[in-house]
Amino acid sequence: MIFFFILLVFVLIAQIAEFFIPTLPWLHNAHIYIAPVIVFYGAMALPFPLMLALALYAGILLDALTVQVIGAKVEISMGWSILLYAVLAGIMHGLRPLFIRGRWEVHCVLSGICTSAIILAQYLMITFRRGSIIFSGEVWWQIGGPGLIAMVMAPIIFWVLQWMARITAYPYLSERSRFE
Amino acid sequence: MSRTSIIALLIFGAILGYFLTFGPDRTRKFQGGVYQLIAPFLTGGSGLQKQITSVRTGLKSLEELERENASLQVENRSLKATNQGLRDVEHEVNRFRHALNYRERSVFKLVPAEIVTRDSSTWWHTVTINRGTEDGIEGDMAVVTDEGLVGKTTTVSANISMVLLVSDENCKVAASVEGTREQGIVSGERVSGGLTPFLNLNFLSKQADLKPGQKAYTSGVGGVFPSGLLIGAVKTFRVRELDGQAQLTPTVDLSHLEDVFVVTGRK
Repeated sequence: MIFFFILLVFVLIAQIAEFFIPTLPWLHNAHIYIAPVIVFYGAMALPFPLMLALALYAGILLDALTVQVIGAKVEISMGWSILLYAVLAGIMHGLRPLFIRGRWEVHCVLSGICTSAIILAQYLMITFRRGSIIFSGEVWWQIGGPGLIAMVMAPIIFWVLQWMARITAYPYLSERSRFE
Repeated sequence: MSRTSIIALLIFGAILGYFLTFGPDRTRKFQGGVYQLIAPFLTGGSGLQKQITSVRTGLKSLEELERENASLQVENRSLKATNQGLRDVEHEVNRFRHALNYRERSVFKLVPAEIVTRDSSTWWHTVTINRGTEDGIEGDMAVVTDEGLVGKTTTVSANISMVLLVSDENCKVAASVEGTREQGIVSGERVSGGLTPFLNLNFLSKQADLKPGQKAYTSGVGGVFPSGLLIGAVKTFRVRELDGQAQLTPTVDLSHLEDVFVVTGRK
């Protein structure tokens, strides 16, 4: 349970840190997203109810800190990010047996894909609201770039979190030792 | 699926349903509350970021320093020559500096604010500032610098506010072009890959024939933005099927904003 709270704190720190991380000009000003990678790690490491709780928490944070309210219009209603996180984290959770066997590579790649999926879903929602579908190269880079970066960051973040889990004697990972 | 998981799923669904029913007011209130909670972290992080940036920019290699030294010596000789002529001007400049202080000369009541964070999301162009309701800030107030229009406030909490930049597609500003009777609506682009975003001035007449460099100002229509605020300069003009559209270069460098003013009213 301690580890679950550590993940909550890490998600909050990551979400705040994202405000201060500049975009990458060499990658079409792609943003760096850390919080989704932590949530997706949690999806693999936590039991189903706690995974849902983490998705709920991360979704609320994401919505509260990024969603725009202009006049009497909300671009993406509160709650959509919760749903997105829950669905994507659910997919990651389904692949948990691989993670337990120590096969992280699939999850690293999936973390990137799921991060891009969140941004794509946001884009589709705002496109639906604003009208005129634009899918230029820039748009694809803005969607794919953060995913690529998340893929690169995932092994490091996973390793740090795994280390934290062991330090806090997190019991849900105990099966993993059989494969080491 | 275990019983615990089903119960968890039901609770999750109920909470999700609760959030999905949020309207604009509740969302704004909730958002303001969350921003208020994390405000100390945001302002603390902003200070830390400035310190890190100043240290990073201060570090230079020996070669860079040698090159800089050589060019500074040349510059120094040139400056000594011009310095004499500028002494008289200096006195005058000091006198005018106070007189021309933007806050003083502005016809608006301005609340100075500092940028705390920049946009952390891909699709929205926003910044947060360290002023809120306690400083008299409300939603839909224009935000400016001495160079021109920056955007408008959206979500406001006690001492932190979100500013929607003029470069965002959702920030629509009624504008007029200097030297013409042309009026249109300025909005940002949905996706901009470059560091300097461009603005679109739509709904101009087809005969507008705007020239590069012509300036666009707020027209005051709509009530949010007072008239006479500089928005940008025309870069290109093109005729579309139904109207004319000009692309503007914003006068304010939105990617390097540090200090802004919130327009709270007229003097």
